[in-house]
Amino acid sequence: MGRIEKPLRKLFDRSRPYFEKGRRMERLKPFFEATETFFLYPAIPVEKKPFIRDSLDLKRYMSIVLAALMPPFFFGIFNTGFHARNASGLSTDFLSVFGEGLIIVMPIVVVSYGVGLFWEGLFAAIRRHPISEGFLVTGLLFPLTLPPTIPLWQVAAGITFGVVIGKEVFGGTGRNLFNPALTARAFIFFAYPVQMSGERVWIAVRETAGNAVDAVTGATPLAVAALADPKARIEAVFADNGYTFQTLFFGNHIGSIGETSSLCILIGALVLIATGIGSYRIMAGGVIGALATGMLFNFFATPDLPAWFSVNPVYHLVTGGFAFGIVYMATDPVTAPGTDKSKWLYGFLIGAVAVLIRVVNPAFPEGVMLAILFMNIFSPLMEYAEMRLRIRRRIPNV
Amino acid sequence: MQMKNVSIKKKIGIHVAGGPSHAVEKGPAITTVAAMPDRIPFIKPRLLVKKGDAVTIGTPLFEDKGNPKLRFLSPGGGTVAEIGYGHRRAITRIVIKTGKTEAHESFDPIDEKGLKNLDRDSLIETLMDRGLWPLIRSLPYRGIASPDEKPSSLWVSLDSADPFHVPSHLYLKDKEALFLFGIRILEKLCHPVYVCETEGAPVRSGEIAPLVTHRAPAIYPAEDPGVLLYHTKKSPDENLAWFTKGQDVLLLAEGLKTGRYPTSRIIAVSASGNGNGGGNTAASRCVDTRLGAPLSSLLPNPETASNLRWIAGGIFQGYTTDPDGYMGFYETALTLIEEAADPELFGFLRPGLFKPTASRAFLYALHKKHFTAKADLRGEERACINCGKCEQVCPVDIMVQFTYKCIYAGEIEEALMHGLLDCVECGLCSYVCPAKIELAETLKTTRQDYYQDRI
Repeated sequence: MGRIEKPLRKLFDRSRPYFEKGRRMERLKPFFEATETFFLYPAIPVEKKPFIRDSLDLKRYMSIVLAALMPPFFFGIFNTGFHARNASGLSTDFLSVFGEGLIIVMPIVVVSYGVGLFWEGLFAAIRRHPISEGFLVTGLLFPLTLPPTIPLWQVAAGITFGVVIGKEVFGGTGRNLFNPALTARAFIFFAYPVQMSGERVWIAVRETAGNAVDAVTGATPLAVAALADPKARIEAVFADNGYTFQTLFFGNHIGSIGETSSLCILIGALVLIATGIGSYRIMAGGVIGALATGMLFNFFATPDLPAWFSVNPVYHLVTGGFAFGIVYMATDPVTAPGTDKSKWLYGFLIGAVAVLIRVVNPAFPEGVMLAILFMNIFSPLMEYAEMRLRIRRRIPNV
Repeated sequence: MQMKNVSIKKKIGIHVAGGPSHAVEKGPAITTVAAMPDRIPFIKPRLLVKKGDAVTIGTPLFEDKGNPKLRFLSPGGGTVAEIGYGHRRAITRIVIKTGKTEAHESFDPIDEKGLKNLDRDSLIETLMDRGLWPLIRSLPYRGIASPDEKPSSLWVSLDSADPFHVPSHLYLKDKEALFLFGIRILEKLCHPVYVCETEGAPVRSGEIAPLVTHRAPAIYPAEDPGVLLYHTKKSPDENLAWFTKGQDVLLLAEGLKTGRYPTSRIIAVSASGNGNGGGNTAASRCVDTRLGAPLSSLLPNPETASNLRWIAGGIFQGYTTDPDGYMGFYETALTLIEEAADPELFGFLRPGLFKPTASRAFLYALHKKHFTAKADLRGEERACINCGKCEQVCPVDIMVQFTYKCIYAGEIEEALMHGLLDCVECGLCSYVCPAKIELAETLKTTRQDYYQDRI
């Protein structure tokens, strides 16, 4: 053991007795264990065969998801800061923009983690099970789907709903039907629509310079598209508002904190696929589903129908939260099907339903959140159907 | 007969360092041997000797309460020195202190001609009398075969499936004729007899080569009889099959031919890593010793390896044992691996160039070199997150995560439909599980409970 490990070990060893059964802080044992194993990765002897085990565990698994979230996270901080300062007429050099972004985004992340961890820990203490690493992902996914102006109390309410109703009432990690981060977002979306949509929520202005515009407004690409004249082409409408394909792809535009940059999300997707942690089947299925459905709508497009019908399907991939949802939310292994062919179908249907909602339902500018939650419901059914098929192929042995 | 290649699509590379060298060393003279009744599945032993009794090689030590014809004979001659009891007074070991000259129980020798004249029933009776019948085991439950069963086939695995084992060309050396005789015995018991070798095995001699019917890829656990059966069977009638191991065929043949209870055994001794206490104490080698040998006799200086984990019967399917234990009836491998060491600072954040894994989550995936095995869980138990890693490695295509949940929910019928009885207890699902759930152990105990009508 090294110079750092030894004193740490001593510290934990000295505190452990207080968390043992019958002692005062017995209930807080999950917190103690979570802290200890965060610093000192445990070395537990194998008791049952096989006597060697793979190095991959859930801590590593979730760390990789977090690592894959870093590109959109940091870009989100930068982008939020940039638009805030830009709208205020302040200088937009990198450092001050990033600092501004940190000041806006970090409170949201801290509240999400803090309140979420409270609920996670409460249930862990009552049920006497360890705190699951999966929460570290939920706690970061959720803030990245929010507009930067979200009031902090709503962040707290949302993550509470997501963790308690989305996960813990079903029995905790591994038993939840819906993705907790998306459940939280859906709750905020329907409960506090004023703070979640419109033209005033996307730019978090803290201070304005003298020469700033009076009212700061901004419409996201999806909002712009929803108002588009049916006869216009959406690509042109986007371009008129400054949303060229490049802008949409690189993500330097307003939107939810982490969802704007398709490029950063693509990097994250590559990390997930290269490490085998995120299912490439779901992601590819989703992209194919969105493109295929988009093309199908192109086929039916007429001037009487909304402009979304005629859009180049590739635009579906780079607008709104589609990329973020299909890469980080749809690939949650607990709520996605566990069988390979179902994963393709699940991804495909998420893509298809997301585009369907976008194109034919003007009431919801964004479809991917609802599409994933909707397909979460069907995921056990797909799993079951594929299981039956595979069992039928087996030579029975009973 | 045309050789069949058994194809198994799933490939998982587990590269453990420290395998035995391919040379057989003669083990030292042995003063105690033991029989280990609780290592034999599904039997209820009834003792036939007591402490202090004089026994010879071949004296019945215990029998099965369920079937008293099933007898287990003494692997040594001398006096019964100790009878060890474990949990709920299960007999764990019968230790025999061997005399200077060991007497043999003698039976009538049976040669090829004698075998021809025996009918199947009297052959079975002979094998039972001579304590050789337990060498033949039965799928799917892997207990000792019952003579009333009608097996569809009998599988002989030449090389064991475990990463560390005695290669077949070592134990078959100079014993080709004996092996052939053993196969003739098996053919009398069951038709057809399939003999399987591993891809890349050295060229067989003229007598053995025509016996080999199947060839399995050189990946664990392709040569397990359960895996072979699963990948070759065509109908449910074939589910019941018998199996035995290459070395056991030699015992069977020797027992009939010489009329004496056979006691020779070659054991693969492997030490992963070099041991903490003093260099390469636990040299990896193949040791020519005898049935029920004390573990300490298999190493040159065992006391320096006391800080290691001693595993009899292979790292995937064996048992943890004390250094003062003995080799069981079926086991042909002793493996020593390092114990879980100290906790590591921020272990889960490290790049992991030397963290062995079957996944791609560490840099180890880039080179996959042989690694030093450690009896380390490498994580903590968590709830199943349905990642499907277990299903990806199962050699008999069980959807382990769902089967596990069926068992968890008490749905045994459903678990059986998933193929619970096809499970070969290879342990790969537990190996890869990132939630560190004891999948293989759960499936195994459920199968055994089901067999014994406990659920």
